Amino acid sequence: MLNEEIKIQLNEIFEEISNNLDITESQFKKAVESYTAVGNWLSDDESSLSPYKPMIKPQGSFLLGTMIRPLLETDELDVDLVCQLVGKNPTWTQFDLKNAVGRRLKANQTYNQMLDKEGRRCWTLNYADSSKFHMDILPSLISNDYQIILEKAYSVRDYKDYDKIAIRITDKLEENYYSETNPDFWNKSNPFGYAAWFQQKCLTNIEEARFLSDSMSPMPNYQKRKYPLQQVVQILKRHRDIMFKGDEDKPISIIITTLAAKAYRQEQDLYVALFNVVNSMEKYIEVKYSHEHNKWIKWIGNPVNEEENFADKWPDNPDKERNFFKWLQQIKMVINNSSEIRGIPNIQLALKEALGQEAVNKAFTSIAENAIKTRESGELFMKGGTGYIGLKDADNDIKVKQHNFHGEK
Amino acid sequence: MVKNKRKCLNLSVQASLIRRVFPTAGVTINRGKMVCKLLLQPSPLSDSYNIKIVYDIDNHPDIYVIKRKLKLFSGATSLPHVYDTAKQHLCVYYRTAKEWNKSMPIVDSIVPWTSEWLYHYEFWLATGTWHGKGIHGKPKPFRKTK
Repeated sequence: MLNEEIKIQLNEIFEEISNNLDITESQFKKAVESYTAVGNWLSDDESSLSPYKPMIKPQGSFLLGTMIRPLLETDELDVDLVCQLVGKNPTWTQFDLKNAVGRRLKANQTYNQMLDKEGRRCWTLNYADSSKFHMDILPSLISNDYQIILEKAYSVRDYKDYDKIAIRITDKLEENYYSETNPDFWNKSNPFGYAAWFQQKCLTNIEEARFLSDSMSPMPNYQKRKYPLQQVVQILKRHRDIMFKGDEDKPISIIITTLAAKAYRQEQDLYVALFNVVNSMEKYIEVKYSHEHNKWIKWIGNPVNEEENFADKWPDNPDKERNFFKWLQQIKMVINNSSEIRGIPNIQLALKEALGQEAVNKAFTSIAENAIKTRESGELFMKGGTGYIGLKDADNDIKVKQHNFHGEK
Repeated sequence: MVKNKRKCLNLSVQASLIRRVFPTAGVTINRGKMVCKLLLQPSPLSDSYNIKIVYDIDNHPDIYVIKRKLKLFSGATSLPHVYDTAKQHLCVYYRTAKEWNKSMPIVDSIVPWTSEWLYHYEFWLATGTWHGKGIHGKPKPFRKTK
């Protein structure tokens, strides 16, 4: 069993690492500014889309608060966005809706230059300047009362009616892409249902604050204090990135996020949460019989649409499945071993290999600097018997008096 | 400035104060010299270090890490904040500024400072930078406390 003192120290280490994984406030603000500008362009009075009150909203890891900094500063940040239209022209097919959005984007000279080649469901804008984003914009259709339902979904603790916040999307590979005008027969996607589910999983018992309601405001705030589950997901994703670099068959974020959220038990302490998540997430992979494949396949259900299997690529691409389990085995070793290793340099080395030099070095630097600040403010104590230094824990702990180490650096 | 007139603590008082906080410490007093050996672990995840403190009433205490050779950060040629890297003789306070005097229990001053030194040593070895602050420059060799 993990001893309390080790747990506290590992928490501090992983908290500091996690602080260095999240995108920075300036990256966040730049992304919000950029997508808000796109939204304004789409909804402008002169826009042909204006009758449908187009809105650009973040989805995916940007909305979940689980986005991480790219490994290299030169790497791009992928921001997933939904462009939602309230209603449509009754004659519009999926093709028409997709292209109504595309045409309006192209009408802006800047966006026209930034547009990537058309995606299956999205339009992609490449911000080549210092901000280095890819913005995937998913054209979609919502009902009139959608916003009210969404607000409820984000604020009611046990909201379960996820299907009500599904949106209709277009898909070039669907047979009815050019023909079907009735959106009831278009594909559904439920990024906001998933976000509402994830938020429910994040909430620890004593904390009732929410991050999704804030995302609905025109100028959402950068979430400085993350929930432990968000931090867990960020750490797992970073380990995945380090382990697989650009490998196409690396475990996908939605699988990691979903299994982590299912395994999370509202632990307040980050290390305890990590430990429990990595050691139990495998239990949430189901096995189902697939008639299509004529065999039993692994199933990681979308919590807001149980018919969707996030691991649907595994049967045809066994490398993806193998890589997932290889990754899980590795991250388990990293997390489980970190309480066994002794010597700060040895722990730092193990974590650096697993989570990246920069984030880990910055974390260990902050911890050492905190120790000095703590002493300077008269709050550093030493425990008798062992010599542990840290915050006061027992009455007979000895205060570390002010002094100066002397000598050459 | 008022001179510190507090009473100088004799060696046996120093020794008993150390033993009270570190019951397993080995403290001997022989011919006016106290030698204290104790094990310090600066944090739960840290290594443990054998420390030797040598003190006689006329001189500053000398603090050494014994039994284990401390490592150097790759590229470094000496330990930070020591009198002597080979002897592992630590400089945990600024003697010139009289941060320590004979009225101060070693266990309340020298020992926590040493543990704090070890803590920062481990982070130095991990990151290559000494984050524990301090006064820089070659320490003067004077030893007398008067």
